[in-house]
Amino acid sequence: MRYKFWNHRMLFVFVLAISSLSLMGQDLDAGKKVFRANCAACHAGDMKTKLTGPALGDVQSRWADYGGDEALYSWIRNSQALVGEGNERAVQIYEEYNKSVMTSFLNLSDDDIANLLGYIDIVYQNGPYPPVVVENGGGGNGGAGTPKDNTWLYIGLAVVLTLLALVLMRIVANLKDMILVKETGKEPEPKTLYQTITNSGVINFAIFALVIFGGYYTVSQAIDLGRQQGYQPIQPIKFSHKTHAGTQQIDCQYCHDGARRSKHSVIPAANTCMNCHKAIKVGSTYGTAEISKIYASIGYDPNKDLYIPDYDEMSNEDILKIYEKWITENSETDDVEEQLEGIMAALTNEELGDDKIAGPINWTRVYNLPDHVYFNHSQHVTVGKLECQTCHGPVEEMDVVKAHVPLSMGWCVNCHRKTEVQFAGNEYYKDYELYHQQLEDGTRTGVTVEEIGGTECQKCHY
Amino acid sequence: MENHKNNVWIGTDQLNNNPELAQAEQSEFKEKLPMAGEQGETELRLESNRRDFLKYLGFGIGAATIAACDIPVRKAIPYVVKPDSIVPGVATYFATSFVKGGDYCPVLVKTREGRPIKIEGNSLSSMTKGGTSAKAQASVLSLYDTSRFASPIGKGEGMNWSDFDKAVMTQMSEKAKIRIVANTIMSPSAKQAIADFTAAFPLTEVVMFDPISSSAILQANEESFGTAALPSYHFDEADVIVAVDCDFLGGWVSPTEFARQYASGRKVNTKHPKMSRHIQVESYMSLSGSNADNRVPLKPSEIGAFIVALYNEVAKAKGGTRVSGPKLDAAKQKKAAIIAKEMVAAPGKSLLVAGSNNKGEQILVNGINEMLGNYGRTLSFERPLLTRQGNGSAAARLIKEMNSKSVDVVIVMDGANPVYNFPNAVAFREAFAKVDLKISLSGTPNETSEECHYIAPNHHYLESWGDVEPKKGVYSLMQPTISPIFAAVGYAGTRQEGESLLVWSKSTNLDRSADQPYMEYVKAYWKANMFPQQSKISNFQQFWDASLHDGVFEAPIHDYVQNAFVGNTAAAAAKVRKPASSDLEITFYETVNMGGGEYANNPWLQELPDPVTRCVWGNYLAVPVTWDGGNSWSAYQGLNPEEFKGKADDVMLTVAGAEQKTTCVRQFGQPNGTTALALGYGRTVTGMMGRALGNKVGVNVNDWLKVDADGNVQYYATDAAIGAVVGEDEFACVQYHHTMGVTAKDESGAIVMNEAGDKPLNVDEKNIMTLGDGFQGGLTNRSIIYQDKLDNLPHLKEHIAERRAEADHLNKQTLYPFDQYTEELYSQGHHWAMHVDLNACIGCGACQVACVAENNVPVVGKREVYRHHEMTWLRIDRYYYGDYENPKTVYQPMMCQHCDNAPCENVCPVAATNHSSEGLNQMTYNRCIGTRYCANNCPFKVRRFNWLDYTTGDLFGGNEVLVNGEELPFGADNLTRMVLNPDVTVRSRGVIEKCSFCVQRIQEGKLTAKKEGRRLESPDVRSACQTACPTEAIVFGDRNDKHGDLAKRLENPLNYLVLEEINVQSSVYYAARVNNSKEELEA
Repeated sequence: MRYKFWNHRMLFVFVLAISSLSLMGQDLDAGKKVFRANCAACHAGDMKTKLTGPALGDVQSRWADYGGDEALYSWIRNSQALVGEGNERAVQIYEEYNKSVMTSFLNLSDDDIANLLGYIDIVYQNGPYPPVVVENGGGGNGGAGTPKDNTWLYIGLAVVLTLLALVLMRIVANLKDMILVKETGKEPEPKTLYQTITNSGVINFAIFALVIFGGYYTVSQAIDLGRQQGYQPIQPIKFSHKTHAGTQQIDCQYCHDGARRSKHSVIPAANTCMNCHKAIKVGSTYGTAEISKIYASIGYDPNKDLYIPDYDEMSNEDILKIYEKWITENSETDDVEEQLEGIMAALTNEELGDDKIAGPINWTRVYNLPDHVYFNHSQHVTVGKLECQTCHGPVEEMDVVKAHVPLSMGWCVNCHRKTEVQFAGNEYYKDYELYHQQLEDGTRTGVTVEEIGGTECQKCHY
Repeated sequence: MENHKNNVWIGTDQLNNNPELAQAEQSEFKEKLPMAGEQGETELRLESNRRDFLKYLGFGIGAATIAACDIPVRKAIPYVVKPDSIVPGVATYFATSFVKGGDYCPVLVKTREGRPIKIEGNSLSSMTKGGTSAKAQASVLSLYDTSRFASPIGKGEGMNWSDFDKAVMTQMSEKAKIRIVANTIMSPSAKQAIADFTAAFPLTEVVMFDPISSSAILQANEESFGTAALPSYHFDEADVIVAVDCDFLGGWVSPTEFARQYASGRKVNTKHPKMSRHIQVESYMSLSGSNADNRVPLKPSEIGAFIVALYNEVAKAKGGTRVSGPKLDAAKQKKAAIIAKEMVAAPGKSLLVAGSNNKGEQILVNGINEMLGNYGRTLSFERPLLTRQGNGSAAARLIKEMNSKSVDVVIVMDGANPVYNFPNAVAFREAFAKVDLKISLSGTPNETSEECHYIAPNHHYLESWGDVEPKKGVYSLMQPTISPIFAAVGYAGTRQEGESLLVWSKSTNLDRSADQPYMEYVKAYWKANMFPQQSKISNFQQFWDASLHDGVFEAPIHDYVQNAFVGNTAAAAAKVRKPASSDLEITFYETVNMGGGEYANNPWLQELPDPVTRCVWGNYLAVPVTWDGGNSWSAYQGLNPEEFKGKADDVMLTVAGAEQKTTCVRQFGQPNGTTALALGYGRTVTGMMGRALGNKVGVNVNDWLKVDADGNVQYYATDAAIGAVVGEDEFACVQYHHTMGVTAKDESGAIVMNEAGDKPLNVDEKNIMTLGDGFQGGLTNRSIIYQDKLDNLPHLKEHIAERRAEADHLNKQTLYPFDQYTEELYSQGHHWAMHVDLNACIGCGACQVACVAENNVPVVGKREVYRHHEMTWLRIDRYYYGDYENPKTVYQPMMCQHCDNAPCENVCPVAATNHSSEGLNQMTYNRCIGTRYCANNCPFKVRRFNWLDYTTGDLFGGNEVLVNGEELPFGADNLTRMVLNPDVTVRSRGVIEKCSFCVQRIQEGKLTAKKEGRRLESPDVRSACQTACPTEAIVFGDRNDKHGDLAKRLENPLNYLVLEEINVQSSVYYAARVNNSKEELEA
């Protein structure tokens, strides 16, 4: 089912040149936005891979013979209208994709589409936009770069100072001895090094220091008990955010759709996965091994492209037979048994008494907030307009998700102290008349979350 | 007069100025920690000693270290296919109807992730207009009742449905004489299902009975107007309401609807100095009676004579024929004349209602209302009320038939419990044993299901499809808010009772292959019957969707003609009850929480104090209080001399020769020579073995009830006797708990002194002497309740203004710059406050249960309540004023007042309680270390301490004290825990908790406004108590919102702050209580 347009090589090069020229007036950032908001759910972000919808790279050239940009624009806005008109190319795509309808985007302006096409082209030719710059350890809290490690300097300094102290102690001890000799006329008794070190003052000091440092260490470690920064559990499915959010540029909230409207960001249901994986049945990294687990969870038969009726009542053996067939026929590797075992392991759970393959995937929570804390995603995402990455870190670069922040109260509170509320544009905050007055007067530049009560106990604990 | 105004009292011990009480009131807590002295050896599991402590310590450190290395793995399990209507973390609301026998309330059910967790009123209903009752609020808990049947049961064994149906159907032949016993059925589709069943078994008859019967009214109305139904009552249209032994606010017929109507005529304001007049004639202190303007106490046997007297007085004025009947003494006769005069003076604007179950009396009541021209105005048959349909004579016939073995099968519908509360229950029990096949459709075990051969458990109403017709032409739908619980987790599960009947009758109208057969059945019924009644929507599916969305549908009224009154009043007068000459009479009455006993295994209702007696977990014998003159009050036979110490007398009560042990409570307003005991208690089978919550709580009075010649149950007896005192009870009455200390002045205005007469009682003399009367906590002149007569309204307004100015003056003598705080902190953003209209509050307790449900307040049990450990965040204080033997009552909902100068905050050593910039007094549980200083310093006594591990929320349970001697406290079961509100923390032992102003709702409301980018409006934030209130007595809101609902309420000049003089700057405003009493009917 590959496109057959590659034979018009000359035309391709020509169009490429033209389209490169036409890039001049296009806003690539805006195009990227349009793409991510509207297209990324069905079309691959690299513009070269076929997903639910075709690979978009070089799309203009493919339409050139069938009404050119004008037809393409109306196709994007309302594909069914064009099919209805009988446009040859439109009907051809419609048939090719089993008559699945492309969503209408009537709200896209000509500029939007121009920007979008520009973006598609640049990605198709040059790879990800904006170009990825590989950084070392990027994405930290402050993002101010890694501070220089001074540990060795301190150790060196400590050794020098200790030596100095030893020398001084020796001198003092000897001087004392000399005074004693001078005053009493006794035989000099020069102290040995051992005697100097084991003198009661030194021992007391050492114990004192030990208690202080030990106490400090214990307390600071105890505070961290139960915190899970850096936690990176193995998940039942080797789902890669790097592939989905990174390479394919799928918007976070396409899958985690609760984040904008609920306290929970929501782990997507298997049917959300199926939006794309009905078409993409073999993965780029793990082949059939991982995607089959989704099918086994929801009861999709990839051999026949059908949801299996009465799937809940099927026995595990019957289920595995279906996927055995699929994996044997489609896997590039030779580990059918292993893959089937993987399905079993991912979808059953002895501890929870779940011995059926059919049913939900038991993911492992990465971020565990204590029960006595109320947290609401939509407050931060929709009202505060925060990026997911602010707290979750560069998820789009993670193959296995890792807890990026400690989720400690100090971490929350510090952020509430610094962060300014999105006062402008939200009628709700009109109630804060005094602050608005001060903002107008210029006696105030912004209002932090703390200043509207964001660090009070019952914002989070009730 | 000035002092009289605030001269409220709470009980005889307080009136007697008992010095021990004064002492007891000064300490916040009844006992000190540890509570070992209070506990028996068995309860205190002293498993640990010092060595154990060290072991735990070592283990704790070790465990924590290991825990730090090995992070506990927590799973997150998403949906496979997520339903569109559910967003995890966001509540979804469904409109449905709460129905239990004759109790009805249209509701919205809040569900989270598919779990119903809270009931709200449906404001689209024309009957309740969004109000709810305590019973409706508590009904969500019964969904998660651990004692519910999970599968059908045949002869004691669990079965699956197909075997069960086979077994039942082989035993029912077409010629079988079948009787279906049920409480009032208000569902048209259920009646259709019974009709379909009858088509297959033609010898089927339905016997409806009500646990608390109004069958005499039905009989009287049939005879008077040819309609065997209750009329619609319009308390809002009446200027003069006269209720004769009729608790229309507490339980009679349709209390939530009536409360709404009643309150609309009672909300008084200096701008609208007009309110309805309510006269209660009664033989016990009912909830309605306690709210009345004038109350005429009578013995129960005198009610008939009083109605005759009323009839004759009205007839005299209206020129009707007088009837002859039993006579009253002159004083009572005179009162009847005064009442009749008042009613006559308001033609068509008065309303006489009687709770009597005597046909003759009800015909006379109809005659009086007819003469007064009230039909078509304050009551009418335009939309007859269908909440009571039980028929006395059919009940008597059933017993006879069963005795003669002419009944083959008895099917008992869900909710009905005839073995316990059928009319003439003793006779029923004997006859019932003779039936060959008995099938119960009850969802939970009860006395009747124990006797049945087969049990086909019904769904809970929150799992059911159905409909209700509470009034003719007023329909209400019922839809499932959760899929049937037990079937979903591997049991055979429950099945809707209508469906069971249709299956057994092999009805072709039930499509058994459908996904939800009974839904299709109800839908088909609506398509055929309700859909044609309207013309607005032409497409049935749209009509169905709209009705389901709204929850209610009202068919337009067609031309209606009021039938003329044709009752024979002379014959009726001959039937009324005759005054008896016995020394002690007894009234059996219905309470707001227990109904006829159907709610016995709902611990939220068991633990809701009865508003009048303020007792929990049981029915208590109300004994009258007498004023002995001077400063001394005593009760009948000197019973219960020291109630405040938690002591009450157990006595042997004999009625009709049968005796039972009951516990007494002193009851103001109980007429001399009478006593009263509530119905609905003494159930013996209410739940599964060992966890029986409502088992043997209180006394079963049903066997004492007599049935008269018309088959009507009589709720009184004239041959009662209180025998010997047999012991002392742990008295679970909250009246003396958490008192604020009422004014310590006597009638004359003098400060009450101690026994030696040298020191003022309970008063800080130094403060009074140096700083003046009432300064900062002095008990001499406390502003807790303001009340006055309607005629004195300008005076009351002035008095309140004066007292508030005085308090303001005192409060200005402070070092703290309040004005500055207000300007800097509270003047912008939100500043939350609440307003409670004491005139609208009838004390029904719906708010209290709503608060329990919303805020995960634990159930503690009777013994814990006795020990002052009740956990409710909102209590309803009851104060009396006026005449000592026949007082008036004020109910005052009391919750955390969110003081802006809070005394509790200053004393917390760990700042676990502190203030927010929005004026909330915040409580942070995980910071609280349990010193209880805050509770000790709270002048309103609204902070609650978790003395024991009521929720099993603690980490190391092994060393905990048992709650009520049970291994697993109530609410610790996983099924019961499904009712918890996930947005509110479950508190563990050793922390203080209190009303948070529903901060979770505040936060949610603010977030909604923020997300929609608009200002916060009043409907965004409504506290749980506010939404539950049937009378709109409570309004919550933002003081800074000048156009909100609260702002309107705050304009009322009758508003005051409780204890304003102590300068705590509280945030809950109360509007003073006004009564419309007339001197000539006093005392």
